[in-house]
Amino acid sequence: MRAPMDRRSPWPGLLAFVVTLFLAMLAYAVLGRAGATGPILINLPLITLFIWSLRRPWFISPPVLLMAGLLQDLLTGAPLGVWALAYIAAFSIVRDREADGAGGDVGPVSARFAALAAIAFAGAWAAGSAAIGAPAALGALISEGLLTILLFPVFAWVFARRRERSAFS
Amino acid sequence: MARRPGRRHSDEGVRFPLALTGLCLIIAALLLWLDRPEARIEPLSDARAGFNDAALPVLQFAGEPLRGMGNMGPWWRRQMELAEENRSLRLRAAELRAWRDVALSLQERNRRYEDMLNVHGPDMGPRISAWTVADQSTDFVRSRLVAAGTDQGVATGLPAVNIYGLIGRTVDVGRQSARILMLTDFNSRVAVMADRSNARALLVGDNTDFPRLEYLGRDPDLVEGDRIVTSGDDNVMPRGLPVGEAVRDRDGRWRVALYSRTAPIDLVWIWPFDAVDAPGSALDERAPAQISAAGDPAAPPASQPAAEEGR
Repeated sequence: MRAPMDRRSPWPGLLAFVVTLFLAMLAYAVLGRAGATGPILINLPLITLFIWSLRRPWFISPPVLLMAGLLQDLLTGAPLGVWALAYIAAFSIVRDREADGAGGDVGPVSARFAALAAIAFAGAWAAGSAAIGAPAALGALISEGLLTILLFPVFAWVFARRRERSAFS
Repeated sequence: MARRPGRRHSDEGVRFPLALTGLCLIIAALLLWLDRPEARIEPLSDARAGFNDAALPVLQFAGEPLRGMGNMGPWWRRQMELAEENRSLRLRAAELRAWRDVALSLQERNRRYEDMLNVHGPDMGPRISAWTVADQSTDFVRSRLVAAGTDQGVATGLPAVNIYGLIGRTVDVGRQSARILMLTDFNSRVAVMADRSNARALLVGDNTDFPRLEYLGRDPDLVEGDRIVTSGDDNVMPRGLPVGEAVRDRDGRWRVALYSRTAPIDLVWIWPFDAVDAPGSALDERAPAQISAAGDPAAPPASQPAAEEGR
């Protein structure tokens, strides 16, 4: 028999959030070496954060985004604060209380993610350019952003789509 | 109605509090300012090195599947044995290539010695081999994390080469890890010259795959395909390390097609290098009395110890 909703502990979910985010960071740092001619990157941490913002919106707060961004900066060697600024700005702008926490159809969720990713990558470009003191090259960032947006529906279909429940579930 | 713990249907659970968001943005912006690559403060550099040390075992473990990805399936096993053999031969060829580069460098140095007397080149210690653990190349920084640090003799600013040529220099050196700032990074500056004509230039990274040659002069003696090597003029890199070939871009500017791009940067060598003392620095270290004595033709040479005077 299923435990009543109000008796469920939030800790398993929190643990799953921390583990998946850590694995996404790790994969993001390591997979850059997979490309023979250049890094082939998908921003897995951004996808992970967004999917968790759909499933458990209260996990995603500004301090969490700050820490996630700083960790990503440390792992990728980017100036500290680049992805932290980008994530906080993007999630602050795109956050929608009607949609968060509900999951949803793949199409609308993907559209929201595309907007979030566009803001995040633009923010990262601006912050990174400010850090290095010159406009950063856009090529790799755009290809990473496009690849992330194009592949997101796969992740959304697996992890974030609204599932119809039967009368017994 | 029962509510899930922690789940709030009110606005504050979903929307970010303005003050907290502002504070986090300020912290991130402050860190961004303090961690600019050109003016990174020492504590942040140390913190990065410490973090890299801590993350190294995890990154190494996570990167193993990439190295062993080809070992799947029985048919592929034989192919992988061949690939392994090929790899070892490549490594041997790489060793020989490295020796060839050393020989070229020494030959060029000898020529200099013949031309000029009393010229002392930099001392190169035995090289330190290290595996690349993570590729930290983004649009903002071009760097690699390698599994060698101060425990293996790595220090800040040492040149790092792969089997074909120079790739960069070490920064953020921890005990077991170091970051290599690539030649393509925006903050990389290396004094180079053309092997054929000795035309001097500064190799400036701009986060593209082909770093620029700057300060070439009005009419540089440079042709496409010229072998570019480090000149050692900056006293940051030793003289004669192979860098790449001179090429022109669409705008007619000189750039360098790096030799290191020919192969994946996986195994790298870090070369301990003792910079040559700047002229006058040895003089400055001597006592003022010795300096004044050195100016007196009747006084004993400065190299003779003061004890001799007491005899």
